Amino acid sequence: MNDSVLLLSLASAIVIGTPILLAGLGEMMTEHSGVMNLGVEGMMLGGGVVGFWMSTQHPSMALALAVGGGVGALFALIHAYLAVTLRVNQIVSGLALVITGTGFAGFVGSSNDSALIYARPQSSLEPVFGEGMQELPLVGPLVFGHDWVVYLSWLLVAAAAFWLFRTRAGLAVRAVGEDPATADTVGISVGVTRYVYTMIGGAGAGMGGTYLMAEIFATYQHGITAGLGWIAFALVTFAGWRPWRALVAAYVFGALRNLGFTLQILGASVPSDVLNALPFVLTIVALIIISARPAAARKYSAPSALAVPYSREIR
Amino acid sequence: MSLPLGAFELTVERQQIPSRLVRMAAPTASVAFGLLVGAVIIWAAGQDPILAYTEMARKGFGGRLALTGTLVLATPLILTGLAAVVAFRMKIWNIGAEGQLILGAVASSGLGLWLGDRGIGGPVGIVLMLAAGAGAGALWAALAALPRAYLNTDEVISTLMLNFVALGIMNYLIFSSFSHWRDPSRATFPVGRFLDDSMFLHRFTGRLHIGLFIALAAAGVLWWGLRSTRWGFEVWVTGDSPRAALYSGMRVDRKILSVLMVSGAFAGLGGGIEVGGVLGNLDPRALSLGVGFAGIVVAALARLSPLGVIPVAILVASFTNARPGLQVLGIPSEIVTLLEGILFLCIVGGEWFLRNALRLQRRAAGPGPGPVEVETAPS
Repeated sequence: MNDSVLLLSLASAIVIGTPILLAGLGEMMTEHSGVMNLGVEGMMLGGGVVGFWMSTQHPSMALALAVGGGVGALFALIHAYLAVTLRVNQIVSGLALVITGTGFAGFVGSSNDSALIYARPQSSLEPVFGEGMQELPLVGPLVFGHDWVVYLSWLLVAAAAFWLFRTRAGLAVRAVGEDPATADTVGISVGVTRYVYTMIGGAGAGMGGTYLMAEIFATYQHGITAGLGWIAFALVTFAGWRPWRALVAAYVFGALRNLGFTLQILGASVPSDVLNALPFVLTIVALIIISARPAAARKYSAPSALAVPYSREIR
Repeated sequence: MSLPLGAFELTVERQQIPSRLVRMAAPTASVAFGLLVGAVIIWAAGQDPILAYTEMARKGFGGRLALTGTLVLATPLILTGLAAVVAFRMKIWNIGAEGQLILGAVASSGLGLWLGDRGIGGPVGIVLMLAAGAGAGALWAALAALPRAYLNTDEVISTLMLNFVALGIMNYLIFSSFSHWRDPSRATFPVGRFLDDSMFLHRFTGRLHIGLFIALAAAGVLWWGLRSTRWGFEVWVTGDSPRAALYSGMRVDRKILSVLMVSGAFAGLGGGIEVGGVLGNLDPRALSLGVGFAGIVVAALARLSPLGVIPVAILVASFTNARPGLQVLGIPSEIVTLLEGILFLCIVGGEWFLRNALRLQRRAAGPGPGPVEVETAPS
């Protein structure tokens, strides 16, 4: 009995961890190019609300995710223009984007004749694998019990890890994030790279928001992300800017969201307020531990040029 | 960088000191552009932009009630704005004003309740209560400041994370426990216990309370401190070049600690004033409205000037104050948040024109008189 409760809560940690992973992986790509976008929560809401609207119009989840991701990327484009071209303070621009995205989602959600608050998606996703495989002990619910978006996110983690650390193009991105002047000298366009990767980050956040609204909750409410975007931002640091670590960390954070419920079933009572704060506590602790150990700091620290605007004229 | 335009070319040059015309024109034009974008969105949603804007101005500033409401909302925003100003001046990116404000509110209401229970009210009690708020904000900031000063731990992420930890603490005290802060008579619908009447800040007219003047005084003190004290000079030098500061014998680690704690104290004071002047109890529903994040944008729009924070905060607060009025007209009040975001983005972007000069010159190859300098306002 207790085993199955534990197993089910682990499986649902994977579900709630997926939007965190999609948004966090996107932000990780952005940060590797040296741009910090604090606007994840806003892009998740802003992209997600349009993706959700799409899911109420058409049964295809792929279409909804594409639309949500596209809108998220457009929000990120604003940040890229301000941060890369106009070289404004990225913290200020990112926070303004949070406010804009939140306002946009609220406005879109409550205006129009058909309020999105009452709308429902036209379809919901089915697990990819058959009943037989889902009923396998342990791996059944954990590995074979999910819809295709979860597997897509695993694929994206593998792709990001390979791309960033095993290809020339990935090396170029990291060069832009670590030392843009040198990257510029060898002919890599710092501006274009940063624009592209900032928009990839927005797409991840928009997809994460869409999956959250159109699939997990199957409804839209004001402020439905409830801080998941901030958790996704924390994820990048907690994972030490490494995609595979992000996969594990996203599910740890997802599990913490569900843990209160699980513990209640098991007879223990830990207030959800405390559990909700845990991902942030863990991130601070990880950050302090890493910065206290020089060897770890070299390996798992932020890109050197993170949040530093680049210009050829000023060094 | 230059762009050829017929016989002329448009060049972009960096400038240190923008002309007075540009200093005035850039933000004005940015606001105008932002309002235009907002108008298009309101219009696209099938509403009347002119009506929405006039209504927003009326509900924000028209009449005594609207004006005092705006000033009450501006008070915490001024203080979180000041919190950002002092830290950002030294290029210490404290984005934890939200959490520092919350902890300030927790400490103020905690001590306020305790003092009220013992009959210590009035000016002495209020001063102690607000001091507790400022102190708690400073200590909460120290949690990020100590690792930043001694381990070089990135303060952007740690201060950001601490916001959500603070939120968790506040929610726990009211929603998940029967703490000192919670009203024991309300078991099903948890609310914070209310302060004794003697702990409330003095009110003038409408909802306007003395907190506004405390915030204005705080702005004055910070202005003076940054301008005329050794501490302010060192903040300025350290922000510009930490290495120069270190070699000239300044204790940079202590400076980081003191600046972040002063920053946290401003935000914490804001939390205390909200409790004593507006809420009367620890109310998580009212204290998680993004005042901390908005304060950072306010500080940026005020170009990190302590006195500049005041008008910007009042303007932003007037928007928030207009929310309920718009809803009555059938315009979704979320438009205010959206418009705020758009205006913030536009004004932040408009800052570019302060750092760069556009010059329209005859092309070098062509004959004729020397360069014609036309400084342009932003489009």
